[in-house]
Amino acid sequence: MASETPNTPTLRAVETLAWKLRRRQIVGSRATALETLLVLRQVISKSRFSNMEQLVSIIRSVGRRLVEAQPKEHSVGNTVRKVLHHIREEYHTATRGSAAASYSAFSISKFVLLGQPRKQTALPKTESKGSLKENDPDDPDSFARSLKPVLMEAIQDVLDELETVYDNVSKNAQNHIHSDEIILTLGMSKTVEAFLISAAHNRNYTVMVLETAPSYGGRDMAKALSGAGISTFLVPDSSLYGLMSRVNKVILGAHAILANGGMFAITGSLLAATAAHAHSTPVVVCAGQFKLTPLWNLYHEYGALDFGDPSQVLGFEEDSLVDKVDVVNPFYDYLQPNLIDAFITNDGDHPPSSIYRLIKETYDDEDNEL
Amino acid sequence: MAPKAASGKEKLIDEREEDEVLQAVILADSFDKRFRPLTTRKPRCLLPVCNAPLLDWTFESLALAGVQEIFVICRSHAEQVKTAIRESKWSRPGSGIKIVPVMTAKETFSAGDAMRDVYTRGLVTSDFVLVMGDLVSNIRIDEVVRVHKERRRTNKDAIMTMVVKESGAMHRTRAQGDSSVFVLDAETSECLHYEPVSACPPTTMTRIPREVLEAHPEIDIRNDLIDCSIDVCSVEVPSLFQDNFDYEDIRRDFLHGVLTSDLLMKNIYCYVAQDGYAARVKDTKSYDSVSKDILSRWTFPLVPDDNHPGGHVYKHARGNKYIAADNSVALARTCKIGNNTLIGASTRIHENAQISGSVIGQNCVIGAGSVVDGSYIFDGTVIGAQCVVTRSIIGAGVTIKEKTRVEKGCLVGDGVVVGPLAVLDRFERLSRRRVDGDGDGDEDEDDDSDLEEIEANQGGATSMLGKDSNAIVWPRGASEDDEDGITSYKNQRARQIGDDGSELETSDAGSSSSDEESDEDESSGYASGSEFRLATEVGGTLERGPMGEDEFRVEVAQSLERAFAEGHSVENAAVELKTLRMASNVPLSRVREAVVGAIVEHMEVVEGAAGQRREIQRVVGRWGRLIDLIGGVDAVETVSALQMHCASSVRLPLFGQILAELYQADIVDEDDIRGWHGLAESRGGAGAAGENVRRCWSVGARMIEQFDEQESESEDEDEDADESEDGDGDESEDESE
Repeated sequence: MASETPNTPTLRAVETLAWKLRRRQIVGSRATALETLLVLRQVISKSRFSNMEQLVSIIRSVGRRLVEAQPKEHSVGNTVRKVLHHIREEYHTATRGSAAASYSAFSISKFVLLGQPRKQTALPKTESKGSLKENDPDDPDSFARSLKPVLMEAIQDVLDELETVYDNVSKNAQNHIHSDEIILTLGMSKTVEAFLISAAHNRNYTVMVLETAPSYGGRDMAKALSGAGISTFLVPDSSLYGLMSRVNKVILGAHAILANGGMFAITGSLLAATAAHAHSTPVVVCAGQFKLTPLWNLYHEYGALDFGDPSQVLGFEEDSLVDKVDVVNPFYDYLQPNLIDAFITNDGDHPPSSIYRLIKETYDDEDNEL
Repeated sequence: MAPKAASGKEKLIDEREEDEVLQAVILADSFDKRFRPLTTRKPRCLLPVCNAPLLDWTFESLALAGVQEIFVICRSHAEQVKTAIRESKWSRPGSGIKIVPVMTAKETFSAGDAMRDVYTRGLVTSDFVLVMGDLVSNIRIDEVVRVHKERRRTNKDAIMTMVVKESGAMHRTRAQGDSSVFVLDAETSECLHYEPVSACPPTTMTRIPREVLEAHPEIDIRNDLIDCSIDVCSVEVPSLFQDNFDYEDIRRDFLHGVLTSDLLMKNIYCYVAQDGYAARVKDTKSYDSVSKDILSRWTFPLVPDDNHPGGHVYKHARGNKYIAADNSVALARTCKIGNNTLIGASTRIHENAQISGSVIGQNCVIGAGSVVDGSYIFDGTVIGAQCVVTRSIIGAGVTIKEKTRVEKGCLVGDGVVVGPLAVLDRFERLSRRRVDGDGDGDEDEDDDSDLEEIEANQGGATSMLGKDSNAIVWPRGASEDDEDGITSYKNQRARQIGDDGSELETSDAGSSSSDEESDEDESSGYASGSEFRLATEVGGTLERGPMGEDEFRVEVAQSLERAFAEGHSVENAAVELKTLRMASNVPLSRVREAVVGAIVEHMEVVEGAAGQRREIQRVVGRWGRLIDLIGGVDAVETVSALQMHCASSVRLPLFGQILAELYQADIVDEDDIRGWHGLAESRGGAGAAGENVRRCWSVGARMIEQFDEQESESEDEDEDADESEDGDGDESEDESE
């Protein structure tokens, strides 16, 4: 296990990222996923390993370090899991060359995917590398040398997926939003923004944006949408229920999608989804697949909602109140699966009930605990 | 590696290229003893706050701001600080911060001394962040540094930016006895005036120099700011400390000195932080409030369950309860854990114990049926059954035996054993009795001597501490060496944990509210209409005018005497005079009178015209320039001052010669003498004094006649001077007869 301790510059890169995550200098699921990926690429390109187990344990140890640093940014762990999954896939292809066939055979997701073929099952690189040799005593680096280019490619795939996530999510936007509809959204989500703007190319519709106190991300959202020429209303959070009867669809962003089909999303989402539920208004969630998290009982944990500082709610200068009032300022809401009607991801649309399946396909089971 | 850098990293690299390394200096010594007896064996910066050493909170606060190199100036218990830094996570690779402990001499008694040490060692190379070793903050200091640098680019004299945080006047985190009044320019937030406010005796008014009001059309007078002691300093700051060897406190001396000096011409700015949190653990009271703030997450992301500086992992539960996450905490089924509580690893809470608003360290035991409310209990402390601990700080390894009551405001030092059945009074301070050979070397010399003294004075006080106790009770009242008297005790009490203002005879609540009123009065007075302002101003001068001037004259005479005797340079003497003038707020003409007077008095009366002339020449040559250096040139006034002084002095006969010498030395010129001569009051009036004045005037008249002659005959200057002096010589001879 000597090779498990990476050399100093990579270790430093990992530590730096871990510190940044701890200090919340990097926030947002996509930003953290990107950073994680870059660090992983660096680690893989620099580290020495002579068989698959070593490589996997190196990546897992890095992943563990990063997840421990900030357990609330789920996309860090997701990215590590995804990279591990890809690496195993590449490894199987390289050693056997026939892994692909058996893989696509057991996918039942075709039932829910409306016949859309899954990208990952679309044949990984078929060229077989017969020369791949593990634990070569003469040349311990030979395994790493021959596998590394493929690994880099695999990581590049994940990177590309992250970079194109907005485009892919909003690909089918016009099929979800119809003309003259009234859409309700809240908070500032890049994915939702891209989705709505993309739909506006073909459809003429109205968006109502909740202000989303206390972060007031809704204001930025409203600005961005009206800047794109969409007819936009910024409405106070309190008018949510009254407006709901006129709303055709609620579109939300997600922070993390859990295996049971529930999700964490910005505060206020639960209120909106519950109101929508009462009015039987469909609730649609736009999110990239890197937010799929193979965990499901997080909502039991109070702390999972990520409580921020009270200053957004109660000014520090309110001297006499500060002593007497306990401010609870959660950053996220947990939405149960029954409040959500569909997830629109960069890889097709899914009902909450099939999320577990997606997760099973995206990650390997043994990585659920890093 | 480089091309892979993502946005965040690129920014970091850019920063580095732009301004090398952001440095910070932490003054890890507090230079006071407010935490005693908790700090007898351990420096204050290593006291645990929410189970992490205070210093780690400070490091983390700086790390949030992107500081890359930190110098920790430590004095007392320096070895402990050094070890703590070496063993902390910060010295591991990848922490991204280089921390250098700097041991300073035992003789460093104040922040000023420490700054001089920073200067002599040449630690800092560019703008740096100066903080105290007891800071907890999540303010983006990098933003302040950016603002500071921007300002520096246009104004080289902006040497410092202080970070202050808005809060209410009665805020728990704002120390009642240690606030200050800031006068800021409303537009640029330049700090124009600073005045500390003390709780006892209550400060009821603040004086704002008139110059401030003249130069700035709009000012803010604020008493609601928490001074976070985060200063972004330029490299000149340590050297200013070096130049001014008497600066001790950074605020009271340095800031005040820079603001009142019109020689330095340096500006200091304030950065009023709107978001973010910053506070110092200055005393036990702020220890309490900062801990509360951390538990109620004001310091986010520096909170126990997220980025705990000690590296512990806590689970956050409803009501801001934080329980160590490693399942090592044993909570009895019937115990009650209230809101805003933190419980460290491996701690056991027994049946029916109640804990609320408290921080419990690691490996503690809280006995059955005990009540702990608003208290801070450090690692390894055992509290027996049926105890009550209220709003107190209990050190590490303390044993409180059953049925003991610890009333609010108590401080119990490390390793103390109390009880059973003891009752600690309010604000009691306990520490362990020394065992022989306990002191660790000469490090604790003064501490030990203090302890000895206290031990000697124990008397019967220990009887109430229970039969197994090893504790000694610290005396109440004034025990500090440097400040004594009842006022300092009261001030100190106001800063002690548990104090809510109603305890002391001079109630804090009352004093601080009157503070505000007076501030408001004054600010409204200045803001509304000039009439009212005039009225207050006049009243003020009438009230304290004569007193100030008398003092001032004596001071000037003394300072010049010193300058003459010790042969200071003229510039230094001028600086001193300016400082004096600012301090006693007198008009410039008074200074001029005093200086001219002092110079004249300095001339010795010598027999013989030539000798006398040489003497005058010597003195005027050496000190004459001082008259113009005191802050404004007004030669007519100089001559008047000379005349008035000579008229009432035994050196009356010298007037002509001195005037001529001043003329020679270009301190006054012909027009000035003519101008003076033309003044009505120069002619003098009735009485003996008036007579003398007139005599001087006639000397001047003669001089002017000579000027006229000169012009018509256009003679050589030398001769003319000779002549005039001859004339004066005659005059003086006349007088002496």
